[in-house]
Amino acid sequence: MSFSELKDRHVAATAMVNTLRDRLNQKRQQLLDTDVAGYAKSQGRTAVNFSSTDLVCCRTLQGHTGKVYSLDWTPEKNRIVSASQDGRLIIWNALTSQKTHAIKLPCAWVMTCSFAPNGYSVACGGLDSECSIFNLNSQVDRDGNLPVSRVLTGHKGYVSSCEFVRDQDTRLITGSGDQTCVLWDVTTGQRISVFGGEFPSGHTSDVLSISINSSNSNMFVSGSCDATARLWDTRIASRAIRTYHGHHGDVNTVKFFPDGQRFGTGSDDGTCRLFDMRTGHQLQVYSQQQANNDQDVPIVTSIAFSISGRLLFAGYSNGDCYVWDTLLAEIWAFGGHRKVI
Amino acid sequence: MDRRRMVVLSAAESADYSFADEYKGPPLPYDIPHAVPIDVDRIPLAAVAPVSAALPDLPVVHPLPSPSSSPLKKPPPPHVTPAPPLPAASPTSVIENRAAMDRPGAEVSGALGSFGFPDRSTDLSEVVDSSGAIGFSDELGDGAAWSNEMMPNRLSTESALSSEFSFRSSASGDGDEDEAVALQAKKALLVTFQESGQSSCCMSPAVGVTPRARSEDLEMKIKKGACHRCLKGSRFTEKETCLVCDAKYCSGCVLRAMGSMPEGRKCISCIGFPILESNRERLGRSSRVLKKLLSSREVQLVMKAEKDCEANQLRPEDICVNGTKLSLEEMVLLQSCSCPPNLKPGLYWYDKVSGYWGKEGHKPDRIITPHLNVGGTLMRNASNGNTGILINGREITKVELQMLKWAGVHCAGNPHFWLNADGTYLEEGQKNVKGQIWEKPIMKLLCPVLSLPFPSKVANEVNNLFNRAVPDCFDTKALQKLLLVGHHESGTSTIFKQAKFLYSSVPFSEDEREDIKLMIQTSIYNYLAILLEGRERFEEESLDEQRDKQHLDSSGDVAFGKQNKVTEYSISPRLRAFSDWLLKIMASGNLEAIFPAATREYAPLVEELWKDSAIQATYSRRNELQSLPSYASYFLERVVDISRAEYEPSDMDILCADGINSSNGVAYTDFQFPCLACVGSSIDDDDQQEALLRYQLIRVHTMGLGENCKWLGMFEDVRIVIFCVAITDYDEYYEDANGMVRNKMMESRRIFEGIASHPTFEQMDFLLILSKIDLLDQKMDMAPLTLCDWFDDYNPVVSYHPHNKDRRGAQIGATKAQQAFHYTAVKFKRLFFSITGRKLYVAQANGLDGDSVDAALRYAKEIVKWEERLVCDILESMYGTEPSSYSH
Repeated sequence: MSFSELKDRHVAATAMVNTLRDRLNQKRQQLLDTDVAGYAKSQGRTAVNFSSTDLVCCRTLQGHTGKVYSLDWTPEKNRIVSASQDGRLIIWNALTSQKTHAIKLPCAWVMTCSFAPNGYSVACGGLDSECSIFNLNSQVDRDGNLPVSRVLTGHKGYVSSCEFVRDQDTRLITGSGDQTCVLWDVTTGQRISVFGGEFPSGHTSDVLSISINSSNSNMFVSGSCDATARLWDTRIASRAIRTYHGHHGDVNTVKFFPDGQRFGTGSDDGTCRLFDMRTGHQLQVYSQQQANNDQDVPIVTSIAFSISGRLLFAGYSNGDCYVWDTLLAEIWAFGGHRKVI
Repeated sequence: MDRRRMVVLSAAESADYSFADEYKGPPLPYDIPHAVPIDVDRIPLAAVAPVSAALPDLPVVHPLPSPSSSPLKKPPPPHVTPAPPLPAASPTSVIENRAAMDRPGAEVSGALGSFGFPDRSTDLSEVVDSSGAIGFSDELGDGAAWSNEMMPNRLSTESALSSEFSFRSSASGDGDEDEAVALQAKKALLVTFQESGQSSCCMSPAVGVTPRARSEDLEMKIKKGACHRCLKGSRFTEKETCLVCDAKYCSGCVLRAMGSMPEGRKCISCIGFPILESNRERLGRSSRVLKKLLSSREVQLVMKAEKDCEANQLRPEDICVNGTKLSLEEMVLLQSCSCPPNLKPGLYWYDKVSGYWGKEGHKPDRIITPHLNVGGTLMRNASNGNTGILINGREITKVELQMLKWAGVHCAGNPHFWLNADGTYLEEGQKNVKGQIWEKPIMKLLCPVLSLPFPSKVANEVNNLFNRAVPDCFDTKALQKLLLVGHHESGTSTIFKQAKFLYSSVPFSEDEREDIKLMIQTSIYNYLAILLEGRERFEEESLDEQRDKQHLDSSGDVAFGKQNKVTEYSISPRLRAFSDWLLKIMASGNLEAIFPAATREYAPLVEELWKDSAIQATYSRRNELQSLPSYASYFLERVVDISRAEYEPSDMDILCADGINSSNGVAYTDFQFPCLACVGSSIDDDDQQEALLRYQLIRVHTMGLGENCKWLGMFEDVRIVIFCVAITDYDEYYEDANGMVRNKMMESRRIFEGIASHPTFEQMDFLLILSKIDLLDQKMDMAPLTLCDWFDDYNPVVSYHPHNKDRRGAQIGATKAQQAFHYTAVKFKRLFFSITGRKLYVAQANGLDGDSVDAALRYAKEIVKWEERLVCDILESMYGTEPSSYSH
């Protein structure tokens, strides 16, 4: 078989895949006769109403001198770790706004941070392609810095997100710019499994965000620059269980819905979407009806669900934060955030 | 008694507020701190001194007066009372003693004999500040009057002095005094002074003058500028002063008096106390004495501590805005707004709507950022106006009225105005805007005439230019970040390493060297693998050729052909096994996994392999191996050395090595440009300042960080992006992840476009460094520039005069490379202009040549400086041109 012949077949196969994908999308469109908003409306649900006092800024934590890139809560919701461009991690007491620790990082370009479920250690990762774990109970050295208790090396690109596996203190999942996600054993510092990369069903571009299923910690979902989100099972590293298409831009953030059956995404195309984990259907699109539909759509940089899941908080690159009613896709805008979370 | 003392103190406090900024010279308080280290043991000495009338005691005594005056530390009374054997009433006598000690030499007799009458007033004042246990304020008047008769001149200074003392103590002492009481007390105090100071120019205005008088006085006492600790030295010896008490110490005593300086330059006893307002400007400015005593690193640390430590910060409760003391948040807000006021302790009023800012009871001082949520509500009498016209609820002063008139505002009938920050004003209760105050260009001229503020529009407009610089001003004002990016193998790492060699004393630590050694050894295996791969190909080719030959030479016998199967590219079976193994490892991509064990094990094998004629033959054809980097031969020729375990990389090796560290992340280094001693005759202050600027070179590996440039947002605070392109890339190709062969120059161009058009870098300056310029010369002869699609319109002007060519052969060769350089530069400049509409700076460099890298980085520094100037020029022109165009 000659080279040109191979090439032709490759082209044909690619075309085939594309047509199949289109058909799949069409089929999905057919099957998905309504979205959540339509159904909820037909059921006569009304949107959540806010008065101005319902959402108030409880506390402003002051102390960082650079942009805050990421923050995470302990499971008890009483402490916060935040990572900032000034090269520090700060652990806050969320109730009193006091700083309990300030950790100076060896590499200032930190992109993500995460609390361990037991609340005793924090992980952070950034442009140094490493994920560093700090034990909050360890002794500080002479300069008052916490020593790094473990460094997870092995990524070939920046570490864009990290999250401890719930109920397993020693497991950590990271997403990286090298198109892979990795499950680590924190105690040994070894990789347990690598998701993506060599395998054909992995992401084809940088992984920007991961989120672990809150009800089944074996499942996690990752969002990537290839405009897809993928669902993985930590026990099956060889392939992604499902791939979710729909966004037209990089998926900047993914977050599981509190019930663990669906997840939300936020993307460069300025929309948030809600996907059903099992069927792969796209349940709802949350997008602003821009009067001027030019390129200036602000990018969704981060999302979060309320505990009930009824509200979706979305942060945009222009500094706005919107609250979406997940059922009716209606929004309340409120500003006030000066940073991109 | 006690009450009275408090009253006096608070009076002084209010005096402090109203005159705060008049103090220029070293104020009285200097005295106070230097005394602070009270040595209890010394007090008896002092007591003895007057008895024995001994002159030599005086130097020992010196420290005493200050302890007494230190506001927070009460001198222990028990010691004091027993001290004087004099028959006078107890408190006075103590004081007398001290006063006597105050005056070295000169007036000992007075102190001894006559209870030191002339010094009475000083004593009194000291009593007032220090312990105050004894109710002396009654006597203050008396005493002053009394001594007035004796020594009128001296007294005036002293009384002024005493006011200083009390101000000092109050400042640090009780801040919560009732203000009304304070005011009353102030009056009372003033009266006292008047009495005492009749003869000369005392009184409240004199307060501003007194510090000088006082300091002279002080110097007189301490032998004209002697060190406060060893009491030696003259005014001309260099000294360091304590920020709190202004005590001066000579270089020998500084470290003993100030210890490790956890809060900067403060006597040990002053640690924890707030600094003097007059010393605020000195914060963080190092002195020659310190620099002599400590290493530069230590000085930096001390200065940082001095600037950052909490005790040295402006205390929010010292600042009152609209009658409300500020909280910390409010003060931070004030300081960090885009047009911050000049904050000093005092009472201010602030008009939130228009942004007017001034001292309480005075006309507006400046216009700061409006709508800050700071302080209480604006009072009607905030600026003490009496015109009956209100602006935003504040009765304005006459000067402002004048300004309003000039601005064409109708002020008949005492209207109440509502003035917005943008200058629009309306009458209270009405909706329609009546006009714009600031729009008349003449206002800009008139306001300074009336010494009224004019809104700094420029600050608002140029705001966005400053925005990116402001945040890092906060802590690391002097750190300028330079971002170095470039395509794979474009020379970024070499430039980075060269910068390390150039500017830092210890370029690479042991660990880093070890890391680099490993990296070089890994890469040498890499190169070998490429060679082996090439060898296999060449072997096949030559076998094919032979086969062809055999076909042609059909009659040739088989045996001959078989023999010939061994070509010059064939290797022995043992080496072949090694070669297969290495190639397999390479293919699986885990070359790193076998290190460093491989170095020990395979070193001899590598040596054998390298010496094998087949490899050498392949090596001689290395030009045909595209994937072999240009600098590989540098290492391959020394492969035998390198593959040994005991190999230590030389500086040159490090420069040539590929990459900086094994993790393909970011690398950064802080450096300063060393002073160029002989740059020119004129080294102005500007250059001096610059020497202090620190730069941080951040090198980012584009391959490792993905190509989506998601990370670029993290570098929004860099000052300049240095984009590196290897100029020799135009005919080089590489295989990307999808197996497509791409031209490296085109790839560089693609990344460059991506970065230049990234929204984060909208306002960023770019410097293009064309590296590997040294290799261009050789290459130009072999491969024309037009090999790259982008450069297909390159047709240089070549001189065709043959004799010219002969004569200046070398020169023409050089210009050829130069032409190519300029051509490439222009290509990039046009591209950059088409993307951003701005100018691209271009420099050339050769990574292996330190001077050229130095030149390129200095060029980057200059660009940063130019841009700063440019911004300044914009500011100036906005200020400068408008009035002038108006006046013509």
